[in-house]
Amino acid sequence: MSLRTFAPSSDERVIAGVCAGIAQTLGVDATLVRLVFALLALAGGAGILLYLGLWAWAEGKRVWVAALLAFFAGCVLLGALGLSGRSVAGIALIAGGLALAWRQGGSFRPDAPLSYGGIALAAVGAVVLLSGETTSSKLLAPGAVAGALLLIGGPWVWRLAVERDAERTGRIRSEERSDVAARVHDSVLQTLALIQRHANEPRRVASLARRQERELRGWLYADHPLGDETASLVASLEAAAGDVEELHGVRVELASAGDCPVDGAVSAVVLAAREAMVNAAKFAGVEEIDVYVEVTEDAVGVFVRDRGAGFDRTAVPPDRRGIAESIEGRMERAGGRATIVSSPGEGTEVELRLPRGKS
Amino acid sequence: MTRRVVLVDDHDLFLAGVKAELGDAVEVVGQAGSVAEAVPLITELDPDVVLLDVHLPDGSGDAIINAVAPERPGVKFLALSVSDAAEDVIAVIRAGARGYVTKTISGPELAAAIERVATGDAVFSPRLAGFVLDTFRAGEQVGGDAELDQLTPREREVLQLIARGYMYKEIAARLHLSVKTVESHVSNVLRKLQLSTRHELARWATQHRLV
Repeated sequence: MSLRTFAPSSDERVIAGVCAGIAQTLGVDATLVRLVFALLALAGGAGILLYLGLWAWAEGKRVWVAALLAFFAGCVLLGALGLSGRSVAGIALIAGGLALAWRQGGSFRPDAPLSYGGIALAAVGAVVLLSGETTSSKLLAPGAVAGALLLIGGPWVWRLAVERDAERTGRIRSEERSDVAARVHDSVLQTLALIQRHANEPRRVASLARRQERELRGWLYADHPLGDETASLVASLEAAAGDVEELHGVRVELASAGDCPVDGAVSAVVLAAREAMVNAAKFAGVEEIDVYVEVTEDAVGVFVRDRGAGFDRTAVPPDRRGIAESIEGRMERAGGRATIVSSPGEGTEVELRLPRGKS
Repeated sequence: MTRRVVLVDDHDLFLAGVKAELGDAVEVVGQAGSVAEAVPLITELDPDVVLLDVHLPDGSGDAIINAVAPERPGVKFLALSVSDAAEDVIAVIRAGARGYVTKTISGPELAAAIERVATGDAVFSPRLAGFVLDTFRAGEQVGGDAELDQLTPREREVLQLIARGYMYKEIAARLHLSVKTVESHVSNVLRKLQLSTRHELARWATQHRLV
């Protein structure tokens, strides 16, 4: 219930109904309000002035008369409480300054202009108040001045902070936008240009489109950013698969359950898996290779499978170092193991397994 | 018997491509490009299978399934998407889709997948198998229905082989099972995925911004 809804009560009035009106608005007993006004009236007549002011305000015509009367009522009250004339004048000037600032719509809302007149008036009041020598002014002055400063300067500081925030948000947004633009330009537009140039080579076009799709998808849906292949095992394998697709014109289907960060041993797994994909792309004679990566608490497993020609391990000449060195040797040095299952006509599956430490 | 199929996808070019690739293998009885269009169309046509894009302009595929399923419990849904976001795929499966294939699937493979879904089986692409294994990862179990909340070792094995790129026939040979048994394992996994309230699944869903 705001005082704006306050109206004098004509039913219960004694003088003009102001006390009864306030009592109704505040929901308290009218006698209590009258008692307060009586006490205030004893304080140098402040109650009478306030009563007149409120009445003028409630009648709705004399707003500034009401303000002035209330103002004087405050001064009289302060004087009656034992404050020196100088202190009362200082406080009155500060209050006047604040009122002026308020009237000019200034300073109390973050978006309003500063009221210099109000500030000047309040400053004069502060000087008057601070230069006083009585005990009461010494006690009151710091609080009053600080309060006034807060009321006048606070909204302005607040507004500055809000503006800075808005500016920062805007900057972040425009940075994000240019980031998107750069990526779209770098990868998608490049790819489209390449596709136009290689329109007569279906395999090349397919692998370009596929690689672009993989990149864009990784960026849109996955948690790892485009181009950051070192972030995780799955991201690294995706990058390797993309390379193999582009270089050898095959499709690599990558499925995964779990993921882990890449350390030295894990990167050996990625390299071995890449080698296995390259072998499948080169020798199996198939369009599609399936890769499945599984990360559990205690091991990393990667399976590279094709449904292609297959081969007989015993028939591979020992000087062909691809499998022995790049896959098996690499896995062993990393502390893991590679198992290759293949037979002519049945396709090949390379299983890479690396135990995970508790690190 | 030729299956009656409704296609739901907002990319006309893709719709035309799918129709051409499917050829006479299925009968495409209708197509829609949005959730608002698809729901009354599917309810009216009552097809065998709906090929469903995960992302549509006015919502996601699971909204269609949720709206149609009570009215037409016989309609089977097969999700078909370029989206690889695990949470989108799992959401459509949880809503009741019988499987998920990627848009790079070939025409004959897609026709086979439609047939399999129409007969009540589930269709798991390697990628979906990976997602599912991820959701049912070994971990401590807190309450819930033990049967629903865990994959059996056999189901895990089957899923792993799917993820590794094996076809049902190859899986059956490798595990010395019949193809029918492999299919029933996959259907069981699908049921668990749809009904489980498993703690792990909930946690996984939260991590992947599902709930």
